[in-house]
Amino acid sequence: MDALKSFFMTAPVEPAVFAQSLWLIIALPLLGAFVCGVFGKQLGRGNVHLIACAMVAGSFALSLLAFWCINHSPSGGTPVAMENPFASGAIRYALGYDYGIWFAAGDFRVNLGLVVDHLSGILLLVITGVGLLIHVYSTSYMEHDESPWRYFAYLNLFIAAMLTLVLADNLVLLFVGWEGVGLASYLLIGFWYSDAAKAWAGRKAFIANRIGDFAFLIASFILVLLVGAFSNQAGPANYSTLGISPESAQVRFREGLQVKGPLTFHGLEAVANALPVSDEKAPNTLTLETIIQAGPLEGRTFGGVLTVALLLFLLGAAGKSAQFPLYVWLPDAMAGPTPVSALIHAATMVTAGVYLFCRMSYLLVLSPTAMLTVMVIGAVTALIAALIAFAQDDIKKVLAYSTVSQLGLMFMGVGAGVFWAAVLHLVTHAFFKACLFLGAGSVMHGNGDETDIKKLGGLRREMKWTWGTFLVATLAITGIVPLSGFFSKDALLHGVHHNHLHGFESASTLLYAVGMLIAACTAFYMSRLYLLTFEGPRSPEARVAHAHESSGYMTVPLVLLAILSVVALVYALPLMPSRAGMQPVMENFLGPVFSSAERIAARGGLVTLDHSLPTLADYLTAWVVALVGGGAAAFAYLKYFPNRGTQPAPAWARAVRRFTQNKFYVDEVYTFLVIRPVKNLGVFLFKLVDTMLIDTVLVRGTAWVTARVGGALRYVQTGDAQAYAAVMALALLGGAVYAIIQVLQ
Amino acid sequence: MSLFDTHLLNVVVYLPLLFVALLCLLPAGERAQVRAITLIGMLVDLALGVWAYLSFEPGGAEFQFEYRVRWLEQLGVSYHIGVDGLAISLLLLTVFIGPLVVLASRTAITERVKEFHIALLLLQVAMMGALVSLDVLLFYVFWEAMLIPMYLLVGVWGGEDRQAAAVKFFLYTLAGSLLMLVAIVALYFISGTTGTRSFDYASIYNNLVDGHRQISACSATGCGGLDGVAGALHRWGPWMFAAFALAFAIKVPMWPLHTWLPDAYVQAPTGATILLSAVMAKIGVFGFWRYAIPFFPSAMHQVRPVLAALAVVGIVYGALMCLAQRDIKKLLAYSSVSHLGYCMLGILAVTAEGASGGAYQMLNHGVSTGALFLLFGILHERRQTRLMSDYGGIARVVPVYTTAFLIMTFSSIAVPGTNGFVGEFLVLLGTFKSSLGVGFGVFATVGVILGAAYMLWMVQKVFFGPLTHRDNQGLSDLTAREFVTVLPLLVLVVVMGLKPQPFLERLNPSTERFVSRASLGVPGNQIQSDAVRIKVMDLPPSAGPLADRR
Repeated sequence: MDALKSFFMTAPVEPAVFAQSLWLIIALPLLGAFVCGVFGKQLGRGNVHLIACAMVAGSFALSLLAFWCINHSPSGGTPVAMENPFASGAIRYALGYDYGIWFAAGDFRVNLGLVVDHLSGILLLVITGVGLLIHVYSTSYMEHDESPWRYFAYLNLFIAAMLTLVLADNLVLLFVGWEGVGLASYLLIGFWYSDAAKAWAGRKAFIANRIGDFAFLIASFILVLLVGAFSNQAGPANYSTLGISPESAQVRFREGLQVKGPLTFHGLEAVANALPVSDEKAPNTLTLETIIQAGPLEGRTFGGVLTVALLLFLLGAAGKSAQFPLYVWLPDAMAGPTPVSALIHAATMVTAGVYLFCRMSYLLVLSPTAMLTVMVIGAVTALIAALIAFAQDDIKKVLAYSTVSQLGLMFMGVGAGVFWAAVLHLVTHAFFKACLFLGAGSVMHGNGDETDIKKLGGLRREMKWTWGTFLVATLAITGIVPLSGFFSKDALLHGVHHNHLHGFESASTLLYAVGMLIAACTAFYMSRLYLLTFEGPRSPEARVAHAHESSGYMTVPLVLLAILSVVALVYALPLMPSRAGMQPVMENFLGPVFSSAERIAARGGLVTLDHSLPTLADYLTAWVVALVGGGAAAFAYLKYFPNRGTQPAPAWARAVRRFTQNKFYVDEVYTFLVIRPVKNLGVFLFKLVDTMLIDTVLVRGTAWVTARVGGALRYVQTGDAQAYAAVMALALLGGAVYAIIQVLQ
Repeated sequence: MSLFDTHLLNVVVYLPLLFVALLCLLPAGERAQVRAITLIGMLVDLALGVWAYLSFEPGGAEFQFEYRVRWLEQLGVSYHIGVDGLAISLLLLTVFIGPLVVLASRTAITERVKEFHIALLLLQVAMMGALVSLDVLLFYVFWEAMLIPMYLLVGVWGGEDRQAAAVKFFLYTLAGSLLMLVAIVALYFISGTTGTRSFDYASIYNNLVDGHRQISACSATGCGGLDGVAGALHRWGPWMFAAFALAFAIKVPMWPLHTWLPDAYVQAPTGATILLSAVMAKIGVFGFWRYAIPFFPSAMHQVRPVLAALAVVGIVYGALMCLAQRDIKKLLAYSSVSHLGYCMLGILAVTAEGASGGAYQMLNHGVSTGALFLLFGILHERRQTRLMSDYGGIARVVPVYTTAFLIMTFSSIAVPGTNGFVGEFLVLLGTFKSSLGVGFGVFATVGVILGAAYMLWMVQKVFFGPLTHRDNQGLSDLTAREFVTVLPLLVLVVVMGLKPQPFLERLNPSTERFVSRASLGVPGNQIQSDAVRIKVMDLPPSAGPLADRR
């Protein structure tokens, strides 16, 4: 056992040496994208498959190595650590490398810096691991497509962008990945561009994301100003948390800003650590209530500005992670090929918002207002999406709304400060939701691309592998013991219940109740989806008489993902010893990442983070809730509806169903309130202001007046010398009279 | 300095004239030879321009490759040229765009081929001359000289309404320029006393500096009692600034002086549109940077919120205009209004980030909008229509073309990793950091959303969806020549996006000088006169008998 442990804790390469090669993790899929995109047609289908999968596999191998390196702590030696550019001391369990300046002007600079720590390490494995499975799956799923090279180029591009997002050590580089995944998503949603609706769905996704990016950019700029103001105003007492002597810590912090720029995560962490709530002992210390003295933010408090920035980041995250009010693009994004939905719109890209807040957990815990908003947005989204999922008949649409709903749960967790549980749910969700989407893809592949669950049914007997894996994943997302989804969801809701935001104490219980309701809804619509697709008799409207099971390229990833969605439960088990008793594996593992957030919370006054474990009663409640939801669906779809016969549903039920099926008319409201007014404003301004007012009245008007004046003066030019002489004489006379009057006065 | 270095700038600027002479010797019928010779000329000029760009030392003197000889001494004019970081960058852009324009016009221009190429070469000379001039009168000569070949290019080789567009363009621009001439002459009289008056850029500026110091020092107490240069500047500075600003704002163009632009851009032949958007508009921004703002910082400071507001309106308004267009070329024209708003906003932010971003955005806009006009020109040649509704679904028939167009679209909407992002990010950051107030930054950032909305809408209408028009089925993809024309621009989009620092390195020192000169107008600033004075080479000792009379 010890030998095994020592094997896992001793990296096969020197971590500091490996750190220099981090760029390869991104470069491999990028190279794959380039080769497939430019030479794919000449290379042919087989080679494209090989290159695309090999590049992701290479990236996966390197990610494993990176993961190994960040856990490197040989017996007797010190664990791996990187130098902290902003404070004395080292950052443990992290590896980073700075490839130098990207761009700089004035005081601002951005470096191409990559960092792997436990948080990004986990995401690296999820992205490249699930990504690899989905690449393999795609080789079979897209076998009939006419341009697989384009597909695999985009898919590799996506992996590269997503890896940039999680490896970036600063917000600007993160934004490259952030928009990069949006771009890849745009290209993949509209992959079958000949269908106008699919291409429009891609554009809708991009614009909704852009609205989020707009907020993200502004938030970044505000952070630049905030860091600048901090650097100007902070006194020695602030820096006492960053090093041994405050003076040297201040020097180090400022040097860090100069060589790394203001937007690095380590820099922001240092600022967060140095910002106390209020300090009576040292009255000159900069606190959250201190007023900014100079610059564009003059007169506002540090805490207030920080809250605004975090709320803007929330809007940004809402765009990328499909949260209210920007979630509308995700269901439409199902227009893309199904493996894309599994990879981008379930497992990886849409979790970027959760990742962003976990990355900046230390900032979030400084603002209970922002945390509450994150939580409420998450809860609202999760509930709306779950309700809409009740009435959707398209297998992918149900899964899409389910994704929106699950992301809402993760946001609730982030907002509550149970970051580790949010990450755990992110991981387990990546496994079971990818499995569900790929299962849906397999169903479509075997049934002539049928997506209407009312026209499927009875597939249990015809697609055994798909059925089995889909069932496991359904149970996982529903939250049935002992699958991973049960533990991750429960850890999340437990945290929501027991963590407290000061000033909003009652929110915890209320949102816990909402969470339970969401869990019941999830169980209901997932059971409905499963039952209508796999159980019961085969629908008479089915497109093909007999569904065929998919090839091994598709079923093997399904099986692997199903296994993963079971075994991932290990991370939630309290196996790791810590000071306060046993800790869940994931919480322990992510400890170094969230240590700053813990420390800031422990200072008191803003949030209280709880570390208790769920009790048996908690588990039981959650289990009962899930069973009730699932049981209700089973009753409705196995017993009640089939026996209803031809008797129509009551009018109110049909009205509710229509309302839900039309997604509460949110899209229509947006069209009416935002999209059409903007478009009409454009047309109005063009016709009235540009063409009429400026061009006709002002520009042509000037020309017209000039021409008229010239035309009028033309009549004076008679050519009559005597008339000219008369005018001259009169003018002279007038002048003389004027002069005389002047003199006389 | 070797003889070559001394004359390098002259060679780059006037080399096209040599080729004009060569073209004049050719018979008009030799179209292929005319094109080949022009292309060779442009390529040689490109090589020399790149040479100059690379030998420009980022940390060196403000103006490099200076060259000065006596000329029109009685008037205080000398022939004085030199480049700072911004001018050399824009010069590089000019010589880079040159050969592409020749290649892009190969099949599009079939009538009066020789005259067309002569006009192109002359336009290059005039534009480069305006960039390198260090004498205000010399600048004015080149500035006006740009107008003539461009007027001809639009009016002779343009589209169906070419003459109206050309006249509008000419009169619009001329109106502003003439007022600027008045201001230049007034400046000449204000900035010196009899015998020391000069049109030299550096000597005018250096004579004004102390006046600006006095104005900024007295602004708290009232500047009524000022006399001399300071008094004249205080009294007339705002009017002179207005005259300069009007001329440059028309050229850029800033809202609401932009209405010549859609007509001229749409009617001009592809080559001329590229030059108009990629280079000529930049010289308007350059004018603000080089002349209007450093000469009159206090006047600029008074109206800065108004000007910045016009820039922001331009960004949002231009984008909204795009949403109302059906004509692709007109959409691209209005998108230029929007993008140039970013350049202007960056400069008016008067922060190092903003100004560097604005300058970088000028180069970006030259590359990406130039490329978009170029690409659209290729399509227009095949189908002879500019309406979006006449296309649709053509991605299927022209995949390579579509890819190129998409990459340029992403550059235009500033997707990170492309050049557009770096410029836009710095401009917006600079605006947020400036004393303008956060509201300007927020409104300008709205352009980020609208930009994506209109560009992707157009892409959608033209390239995606079912292939509805039968005429589009036979569209041919990029030919080898066209691909070669587009490829450098594609490469540049990525290179400038991933490795912007070599470009920014040359811009940043100029930016910092610009920012301190512009900040001289801020009331109560502590900038020392000596810190902002311009050091240039002296007039060489006289060789002729006329010299002593000065």
